[in-house]
Amino acid sequence: MLLREIQDRTIMDNKEIKTKENIIQSTSVDFKDNSPEAEKDINYWQSFRDLYNDPDFINEKRKEFAPGALDRPDENSISKLSRRKFLALLSASAAVAASGCSNFREKGEFIPYNKKPEEVTLGNPTYYASTCTGCSSACGILIKTMEGRPIKVDGNPDHPVSKGKVCAIAQASVMSLYDPERLKNPVERVNKTSPKEVSWAEIDDKIIGEIKKAASGNKEIAIVTHTINSPSRKKLLDEFKTTYPSAKVYSYELFNESARNSAWEKCYGSKVYPLIKWNDAKVILSLESDFLGTEGNKVETSRLYTENRDAFNGKEFNRLYAVEGNTTVTGMNADYRMILRTDAIEEFVMCLLNEFVSKQRVSAFASDSGISSKLSGNNLGAFAEKNNLSKQVIDHLVSDLKKNMGSSYISAGSMLPESTHIAVNLLNEVLGNTKLYVTNVSNVELIPLSTKAELESLVSGIRSGNTSVVIHFDSNPVYHLPTDSGYAEAIKNVPLVITITESENESAEVSNYVLPVNSMFESWGDFQTRNNFASLQQPVIAPLYNTRQKEEILLTWIKGTKDAFNNDIYHQYVMDNWKGTVLSKFTSEADFKKAWYGGLNDGVVSVSPVSAAGETSAVTFKPESFTTNNSKLTQSSDYVVILTKSSSLGDGRYANNGWLQELPKSVSRVAWDNFAAISVQTSKALDLKQDDIIKITTSGGSLDIPVFVQPGIAEGVVAVELGYGRSVCGIVGKDVGFNGNKLMTQNPALSSWMYNDAKISKTGDAYEIVTTQDHYAFDEPLYKDIQYRREIIQEGTYLGWKENSNFLEDRHTKYSEEEKAKLKVGSINKQYEHTGLKWGMVIDLNKCIGCNECVAACSVENNIPVVGKEQTKNHRAMQWMRIDRYYSGTPEAPKASFQPMLCQHCDFAPCENVCPVAATTHSADGINGMAYNRCVGTRYCSNNCPYKVRRFNYFNFRDHFREGIQQEESFSLMANPEVTVRSRGVMEKCTFCLQRIMDERQMAIQENRLPKGSNVKTACQEACNTNAISFGDQNDKSDNFYKLNNSSLGYSVLEEIKVKPNITYLAKLRNVYEMEKEEGHH
Amino acid sequence: MKNFLLDYNLKVRIPILVFVVLTVFVITYYASYAERQGVGYMPPQPIAYSHKLHAGDLKIDCRYCHSDVEKSRQANIPSASVCMNCHTQARTDRPEIIKLTEYYNKGIPIEWKRVHRVPDFAYFNHSVHVNKGIDCSNCHGNVAEMEVVEQVKDFSMRACLDCHRNPQQTIKNISVGKEDLKINTGPTNCSACHR
Repeated sequence: MLLREIQDRTIMDNKEIKTKENIIQSTSVDFKDNSPEAEKDINYWQSFRDLYNDPDFINEKRKEFAPGALDRPDENSISKLSRRKFLALLSASAAVAASGCSNFREKGEFIPYNKKPEEVTLGNPTYYASTCTGCSSACGILIKTMEGRPIKVDGNPDHPVSKGKVCAIAQASVMSLYDPERLKNPVERVNKTSPKEVSWAEIDDKIIGEIKKAASGNKEIAIVTHTINSPSRKKLLDEFKTTYPSAKVYSYELFNESARNSAWEKCYGSKVYPLIKWNDAKVILSLESDFLGTEGNKVETSRLYTENRDAFNGKEFNRLYAVEGNTTVTGMNADYRMILRTDAIEEFVMCLLNEFVSKQRVSAFASDSGISSKLSGNNLGAFAEKNNLSKQVIDHLVSDLKKNMGSSYISAGSMLPESTHIAVNLLNEVLGNTKLYVTNVSNVELIPLSTKAELESLVSGIRSGNTSVVIHFDSNPVYHLPTDSGYAEAIKNVPLVITITESENESAEVSNYVLPVNSMFESWGDFQTRNNFASLQQPVIAPLYNTRQKEEILLTWIKGTKDAFNNDIYHQYVMDNWKGTVLSKFTSEADFKKAWYGGLNDGVVSVSPVSAAGETSAVTFKPESFTTNNSKLTQSSDYVVILTKSSSLGDGRYANNGWLQELPKSVSRVAWDNFAAISVQTSKALDLKQDDIIKITTSGGSLDIPVFVQPGIAEGVVAVELGYGRSVCGIVGKDVGFNGNKLMTQNPALSSWMYNDAKISKTGDAYEIVTTQDHYAFDEPLYKDIQYRREIIQEGTYLGWKENSNFLEDRHTKYSEEEKAKLKVGSINKQYEHTGLKWGMVIDLNKCIGCNECVAACSVENNIPVVGKEQTKNHRAMQWMRIDRYYSGTPEAPKASFQPMLCQHCDFAPCENVCPVAATTHSADGINGMAYNRCVGTRYCSNNCPYKVRRFNYFNFRDHFREGIQQEESFSLMANPEVTVRSRGVMEKCTFCLQRIMDERQMAIQENRLPKGSNVKTACQEACNTNAISFGDQNDKSDNFYKLNNSSLGYSVLEEIKVKPNITYLAKLRNVYEMEKEEGHH
Repeated sequence: MKNFLLDYNLKVRIPILVFVVLTVFVITYYASYAERQGVGYMPPQPIAYSHKLHAGDLKIDCRYCHSDVEKSRQANIPSASVCMNCHTQARTDRPEIIKLTEYYNKGIPIEWKRVHRVPDFAYFNHSVHVNKGIDCSNCHGNVAEMEVVEQVKDFSMRACLDCHRNPQQTIKNISVGKEDLKINTGPTNCSACHR
């Protein structure tokens, strides 16, 4: 306590420092304070409550714990004796009775293997290369297994696309594997209602008979599936069609690139949009394109993009402009962000084209009268004025694009209609950006997705009675297809509906048979997404339940007899297929085996690129595609509804995964729900506040959904994330959020994800949305004055930094010499000399895009429980890591800064001084440890933590969430055995992945050397797509980490309080010409 | 109640009672300490395997069966297949070996009774200790002379710390071939074992 007082006094003594004149005078930053509240430096705020100095919020910040955190549990809900609780009590009493009689010295049994697999070393992990099937990107993964249990998924470094990184969905996929609500046995639903479990043999018999009957009667057998990116699966489906000629395959994706691809085909004649050299782009203009968040293969794109966001790798920074209506992760990372209604974007592109083609006469298209006549009437200046775009930024954009012809790229969002994509293709062509298209490698589309007409014919076939069998091949069209497609209604009349799925869903509900399938950890498979390599998937655990691989099921039906099945059948099939294709050059059996096992070991096999049919290497733009392009997109007077992908739930397949549901969205920080994001202006106009339910009506349908007032969204734009509102799902995901698919229509005027004819109205109801944006806000009442310049986020401009690399240091000129001397007052604690190894972390805020992947990885690695929406609301979420998102600027047009916040492992950790039982202590290598078995739960440490990174187990959350589903036996297999599973009443926090440090120590001792910092990778670091996190030994001067840790951009958060954190943040550099003048808020 | 009786109770009976209770408690506490720590625990095993015969008389290295002890946190209990390396040939007529063969052939894992155990919240690492030259016998006693394995040492945190603080005094046996490794004091910070 004494330490605190002295520190406080130091700060209090400096009270006079704060005068308006000398507030911030750093070299490149110039802010003016013109409103009384704008005393906070650079005016950072996390939520409206923060911005408007809500007295409740200020009060909350000053309290030891947020009010919700101290709420007593609802006793009614606790005393209710659920079935699980009753059984638990029953077994507990039996256990107590039994233990009374047993030997107290009894220590249980060791159960070793009978025959130990050669590759397993007990206690050490075994890694297997495989492929993720979470989405159609098919990233390479390395699965970490402990004694045969998959416990963690990370990227496969050998994979040419994902290069050792994966997204949050793959990180959290182990939870889907062990989900106790997975289907365990095949189910027959007699008359599509009363379900009963039956055997596979019985089902195979019945279904094969039905299929044969349908085929001979020439009735259609429809297989409805997602993207087919597996060559063997494609072959399988082809064989199915050969065996049963009346079979047809339909494939759909809720989110797809149809507009982009069809525009490309019109412009260039070839089918597939090329890959982009993002790492060569000096200027990027994103038009409603969330390439860092949800579009395309974001694992690859974000890595390539941040290659040019590293201050120390010798490359120049790129400059990202974003013009968007929604607030995407990409937009929030942009250097210049302009807010524009989504349906005005096409006009903006036309204005840009007019500017370059007609005015500046760039490229040969300038003399094409067909093009220039189409462009006339689009004046950039007038457009900017009309839409309130900053003229200065527009000027910068135009001159940057002109200056960087051939090395800039304009990316149009997938939701924009084809006409916009055609215009953007032309713009890229005009600017010579075709140089950034990758020519030697391209995406592969094994079977194109079904067109709208094909999907319509599916439904009409069902209606006319021509289709007698529908097989949902691991797909959920009842939920995904638009209501007006009539699919959900029509399917009820099909005599035989078979749903092949991992867990219950809306389509299973209307089926005659529900067949459970293996998860991706239990399956064989092969994938091809690019033309230069193929990847393999291998099972790492035997099926947990009575399930079969989905391909095995079809294969058995193709063979036409239930006896054809064995659990190696698809493995053989894939191998045989590879014998003839990928590995055809290995003719002898021995060579093939070698190559096959090599492929399984690496996870990927490179193949010589074959250009897809109809593709020529030199593509030429067809100007007629543009001149005949009938634009439908003009700004309407209604609202624009845009439907976006959820970065964690995908298309809703992972709704039952608690880790993903609890991951806050990057920008809004909302967990456990989706919402309609509206602008501040709209909220004022319609008198809406957060949680009010509105009715949205589009041409597709209507939906009641609560609103969230999102700073930075364009006026008139309403953004809704899809993938929520699953009505048939497990206990975790059922009825979480609202089903935005209801707003979609089969025949959209613009595109499936964008409707500019929407009406919204207030319903008067309310629904509570939980956002973590102002959870754990920093405020120490005693540092009242210092907080105005606490500089949690520090930033400058790239150009300013190049001029003066010490600008961060120089910012201290705001202190006078005398004040500096005061700040130098040391601690009363004796400084411990960390001479040997000392762990530290560097987080580069230039590369952090706020994607949350580290949070997901941390939860998996450290056995962090899911707490649910209620407890999240009460500030009790257990994630050890959070990404703080700070806005700065006005609520209408804020800028955002992301900052991962985790235990800082302070040298003078304030938490350690106050623990009455010494449960949290320091080690010689600089780690602030937690001994859970010693903790008695006083929560003093949490109270004294200036960074608010300690998490308290208010409950045994595993028991406290959704009837204790996390206590189910299958989930106990998921736990990382190297990390204690904490229970009620103990404090916990980031340990710097101590278990991984200990592994390195073990290796070092085995090899008789000293532990080396660069050998340890923390879970968050391993997961970080953009390599923003580095970890290592602060005293190892030979390591690259040392340079980063001591670089000119490094600073620590709340430096003034002198707790000496061991996490260094690298200040964010915005690549802007000059910092915009702070406008001050209202 | 008479004054005298109250006085007598307060001054004589209660102190004597307290004294007796305390003495009994203290004596029992210390007398049973070792037993409560598991010292002397010698459970019967499903197969009467003799360490004395294998490790003592036949001088088989511990690491032949506990093969992961140098590589991993855990010193593994050998799988039945390791036993069968020899016992497909050796002594196949003995009743215990017949039992073993039956386990092996049926693919049933043998449920060995656990003798030593540190609590789940302590992460003891075998490989770290063994690779530093600390012989197994320092903690496990002279297993090579045990017909049935029993716990001979205290496995409490106190025992761990005694050794970590004064390894020079407490570590009696150094593994053969590792004599020239320097014995340092072990880490005594909490996070060395608790995470």
